Amino acid sequence: MHYDTIVIGAGLAGLMAALARAERGERVLLLAKGHGTTHWTSGCIDLLDAGDDPLAAIGRLAAEQPEHPYALAGTVALEQGLERLRAACEAAGYPLAGSPGRNVRLPTALGALRPTCLLPATMVAGEARQLADGRPTLIAGFHELRDFFPPLIAANLRDQGLHAEAAYLGLPPVERSHEFGPMIFARLFERTDFRAAIGEQLATLVRRGGYARVGLPAVLGVRRATEVVRDLQARAGALVFEIPTLPTSVPGVRLFQALHDAFLAAGGRVQLGSFVLRGEGAAATLTVIISEAAAREQRHRALRFVLATGGVAGGGLRADHTGVLQETALGLPVRAPGGPSEWFAPRFLDEAGHPIFRAGIAVDDQLRPLDAAGRVAYHNVAVAGSAIAGCDPIREGCLEGVAIATGWKAGLL
Amino acid sequence: MMQTLETDVLVVGGGATGAGCVRDLAMRGIRAVLVEKGDLTHGTTGRYHGLLHSGGRYVTKDPQSATECAHENVVLRRIMPHCLEDTSGFFVITPWDDPDYGDVFVANCRKTGVPVQEIPVAEALRREPALNPRISRVFEVPDAAADSFLATHSNALSAREHGALILTYHSVVDLLREGDRVVGAVVEDLRSGEHRPIRCAFVLNAAGAWAGKIAAMAGVTVTVIPGKGTMVAMNHRMVNTVINRCKLPADGDILVPIRTVAVIGTTDVHVPDPDVYGIEPDEIQFMLDEGEKLVPGFQHYRALRAWAGVRPLYKDQDVASDRDISRTYKLLDHEQRDGVAGLLSIVGGKWTTYRMMAQEAVDEIARKLGNTTPCRTHEELLPVPPTEAPGHQASATPRLMFWMGKPLADVEREHAYGDLICECELVTKARVQAAIDSGAANLDDVRRDVRMGMGPCQGGWCIYRTAALLFEQKQASGLTNANTNAALLHFLQERWKGLTPVLWGDQLRQARLDELIYVGLMGAHRLREHAEQGGGLVTDHPAVATEYVKA
Amino acid sequence: MDHIELSLTQSLDHCIKCNICTSACPVAAVTDKFPGPKYVGPQAQRFRRAGQPVPDDSVDYCSGCRVCNQVCPTGVRIAELNARARAQIVAERGLPLRNALIARSELIGRLSCGPHAPLVNFGLGFKPARWAVDKVLGIHQDAPLPRASRSSFRAWFARRRRSLDARSPGTPAQPSRQVVYFHGCATNYYEPEVGKAAVAVLERNGFEVILAEQNCCGLPLLSNGAFADARKLHEANVRKLLPYVRRGIPVVGTSTSCTLTLKEEAPELLGLSSEEVHAVAAGTYDIFEFLRDLADRDQLNTEFRPVERRLPYHPPCQLRAHRIGRPVLDILALVPGLRLDESRNECCGIAGTYGLKREKYQIGMDVGAGLFAFVRGSGSDLALCDSETCRWQITHGTGVRSKHPIEILAEAYG
Repeated sequence: MHYDTIVIGAGLAGLMAALARAERGERVLLLAKGHGTTHWTSGCIDLLDAGDDPLAAIGRLAAEQPEHPYALAGTVALEQGLERLRAACEAAGYPLAGSPGRNVRLPTALGALRPTCLLPATMVAGEARQLADGRPTLIAGFHELRDFFPPLIAANLRDQGLHAEAAYLGLPPVERSHEFGPMIFARLFERTDFRAAIGEQLATLVRRGGYARVGLPAVLGVRRATEVVRDLQARAGALVFEIPTLPTSVPGVRLFQALHDAFLAAGGRVQLGSFVLRGEGAAATLTVIISEAAAREQRHRALRFVLATGGVAGGGLRADHTGVLQETALGLPVRAPGGPSEWFAPRFLDEAGHPIFRAGIAVDDQLRPLDAAGRVAYHNVAVAGSAIAGCDPIREGCLEGVAIATGWKAGLL
Repeated sequence: MMQTLETDVLVVGGGATGAGCVRDLAMRGIRAVLVEKGDLTHGTTGRYHGLLHSGGRYVTKDPQSATECAHENVVLRRIMPHCLEDTSGFFVITPWDDPDYGDVFVANCRKTGVPVQEIPVAEALRREPALNPRISRVFEVPDAAADSFLATHSNALSAREHGALILTYHSVVDLLREGDRVVGAVVEDLRSGEHRPIRCAFVLNAAGAWAGKIAAMAGVTVTVIPGKGTMVAMNHRMVNTVINRCKLPADGDILVPIRTVAVIGTTDVHVPDPDVYGIEPDEIQFMLDEGEKLVPGFQHYRALRAWAGVRPLYKDQDVASDRDISRTYKLLDHEQRDGVAGLLSIVGGKWTTYRMMAQEAVDEIARKLGNTTPCRTHEELLPVPPTEAPGHQASATPRLMFWMGKPLADVEREHAYGDLICECELVTKARVQAAIDSGAANLDDVRRDVRMGMGPCQGGWCIYRTAALLFEQKQASGLTNANTNAALLHFLQERWKGLTPVLWGDQLRQARLDELIYVGLMGAHRLREHAEQGGGLVTDHPAVATEYVKA
Repeated sequence: MDHIELSLTQSLDHCIKCNICTSACPVAAVTDKFPGPKYVGPQAQRFRRAGQPVPDDSVDYCSGCRVCNQVCPTGVRIAELNARARAQIVAERGLPLRNALIARSELIGRLSCGPHAPLVNFGLGFKPARWAVDKVLGIHQDAPLPRASRSSFRAWFARRRRSLDARSPGTPAQPSRQVVYFHGCATNYYEPEVGKAAVAVLERNGFEVILAEQNCCGLPLLSNGAFADARKLHEANVRKLLPYVRRGIPVVGTSTSCTLTLKEEAPELLGLSSEEVHAVAAGTYDIFEFLRDLADRDQLNTEFRPVERRLPYHPPCQLRAHRIGRPVLDILALVPGLRLDESRNECCGIAGTYGLKREKYQIGMDVGAGLFAFVRGSGSDLALCDSETCRWQITHGTGVRSKHPIEILAEAYG
């Protein structure tokens, strides 16, 4: 089959690029090994962990680091991409709050406060400035959910001057008794009877403790989270907000679904479970990519390609035991800092992060991959997301922002 | 200074030997106290590959040690079945080994009493399909895999049951001398910083690689050569039999399937100080290369982590290299040797011979004390600590030896899969809580007790969960969230140290995901200002700092 | 790429414990008798070894749908690990009679198909009989069983060949191209119309259809852990198909599960790596995959008459496991007027023989609930799906008729 564009990778960057191209009327295939980093992250949109105004900080960053992915993508792509994402989430009944010009801080499952920019409406009441209004907050969870522990969260919030207390809720009778992961809870919360039982407990706690708001693990529904939160608020008599759990992250899954649905509605095609082995092309033009399939390889033709396979975590980059870093799909040249002896800081939580995770594919301002000599390796390939060199998106707090800016840009080119 | 503690014998060192000594003493009715500066097995015992030697490795260069190993191999199978997996062991001649050594090996096994049987290569390959098909001869010996953490805890539990006192996180800061006699020690409780004198008739120095440091406090010289051995744990068992190269002992020539992993070891590098050593990249590469000779494709398996332990090699004569130092042990009575009474050192030896060493040391002390109760440690079954799965503890004697699938069978029987805190190593909430209750002073202690954080994700999920459980369980007894944060940050760093030498491929990807969780999702680094040592935890103390110093 | 080259067991090394598989697993979503693919797959595998007692049971609740493989970002072959673990259980404890029976689809098909089929169908439609089968054998009394055909597909094909030969004696104009049609048990004994449609479509594209000797692909045995018997069946198929493959004649099937078994499941699960096995695997195609390849080479006959219909389509798990995209959507998009709505539901719940079992029937129905709602919600009186057991389950769960997409394509050729 012939496609206009094939996007490799189903994370945020790949989804944004695929959506942009499909909405321009192109035939688009989104080809991926599996689900992406969306399922591991908070479900919020981090733009940059730098002061109160991330957009302004990104402007300064772009001026100081012209090879930073933000500099190459430009703020127009970022802002347009954010708008499109918001619209997709809105259409899914899952509105995002916040503005690109303002960072907010939200509690984590450890009770730390982390900065982010856009956040689902289901998390808004947990914003640090609200928590600091002097009125008490209840952090509540379930003994059956091993990915969220209220007492430690509340104690750490108290240490930061916030009035928080913790409680465990009783599990209403359900058909299962052994296994309760985040997605299981999320499905249970979509049931009215389950919410009624939880709401009743919350109402009692709120009445007794005078809580202004209740923080719950971010498992409040998969497809109808906004509605679930609204309903719980009504039942509890207090504001309700979500705090992300250990992966799998339900809010991350919601983001994935909102974009995935928008892409399919725009006529896109998704093929999961397909590992891209290599590409074929000539004269700096990629013509075919080849994916692994049962008993034989599958060949996919397109006019242009977007590589959004991620960094080391996403699987786009892989190191071998001899210290060679490879780009896994097309074998593009990788820009890596020094040899393995320079890859890691001695301390895991070193403020500057580990140099290896700034590795990636060097690209030009059209996001086209460059070889070691700085020449464009493929004119019809754009690279998006964490696969791009020159940025440690986790440490810089720009994982989603860079994915959206570069993904959308790759969709516009 | 706290009130003086009185006892008959003070054992210094909470490794296999010290725990074995204190058990033997207590079983003979001798009052005994054990002090260990860290957790039990914090030193070399907790950092070895987990091999119960048949003795085969030493039949040529160190025949006495071989005979000792062969003897104790039989004894330990009897007294600690729950700590041992009967993997059996192969000595294989690869194309890189001297084919003539095979006959020498067999002859020396016979001489030293190590049971051996040559088996056809085809049979060996059928049992271990991953083995290099180019091996030319295979000899089977009764090697086994040993859980040295569990064995030491079992010894300590038995000692306590017989009335001994075991003080972990107590560091000896001085030995008390009266004239030519050592009459006790001053120990520091690392949790509180308080000093406490302990008076006793004898100090038994079982500090292993640290024995020289202890002896020096009494003005006595004991030369222990800390021989660093580096090991790499691979993510799963590509073999289920211990595989030894059939040649004179060298680096990277043993592959031990232990619990869920396969450990390749070891190197042997003389280090000046048992507390200061690093892991060099070429050591890792060397072991991967050597592993390749035993199991083709070895380098493409996933390495989990690397660590090093320091062998307590006792040097009492001039030997050519540290590998040539005898692996046998020696009991030093410093009254005879140095004119300092009240102090004995038990040095050298192997994990496999720990009980025999303890017996010899305690025989001598008992004789001096006039105690005639015979040793029973070779007869009496060791108890099972409460951190093990309930089924294990309840099982009637004679207990079965450990088998690889047991943790999975336990979880399945109890339908406890939703209760797993460490999913990789199948550690349930109840077992983590038992480890916390048993006095864990940080998360690394919980790891040693139940293997929490030792699987592929190296704590990605369970560090958060265990820290939170620790807080919930100990909050009432004064542990704060700040103490908990310190424990979490401490353990994240502990894991990182062992990871960096093996970060490539899947393990690098895992480390990045773990970073995404702890930095991105949890913001653990933002809690640094809200972390402090205390609440009964030891998370940042120079006496137990195990930080590898990059050479 | 090392992802591909590493063996199944080694693929567990890729697991980074991220829980993506468990969140996507349709079985774990509806019952906690199944702890999820991460737990029973790469996690439990580190505790399994040959020569020790089988330590676990819960892996038996894996339906084998392979959604886990599809969503796993690192390439762990979870479903295959699970299938092998189940085979270990069977090797140690034996195959229950019920599973031994339902796994022998060819035998059952042969016994029920023929002039006596109405009687068999009546028996199986008879509530008290089903109640007894449930109690005695453990096959759920409501589970969807197919209706046997009065005449097998092979018998039809032979009759047709004879009548064609009679009509035009001598050598007919030789089509330049040949294919072997792999019909599978279901087409032969229960749904000969699928085979007839396949023959029609292939002939419309200028192929001579060869009905090579063949037998059950062995998938029901594989998914019930009876590996030794499955191996015999696969080796027999390799013997029968190899001569054609050697001559460059492709093997084309309408059952996505049979073709997947020939391509990959049997060789991988059974550890068969001979050149002959590989040759047959490489020469086997799902029929729509085959047609799409023709289209890519501009060799597909696209003289379709309009089919003004809008139909729900469910791409079955076994098709997705081919990792070839959605060839049905690609090809049927060429038919004027025809519009397919793709189901986004992971699985219908039947998973071959899984949903027939008394203890798993309700799990299967719960897994399929989303798909049933989608099909009912479409308002259509017909649903399309490439896999036979899934079609029976869809019809059972919705009351809506179901067809193989090749039947619609045959219609479009008129």
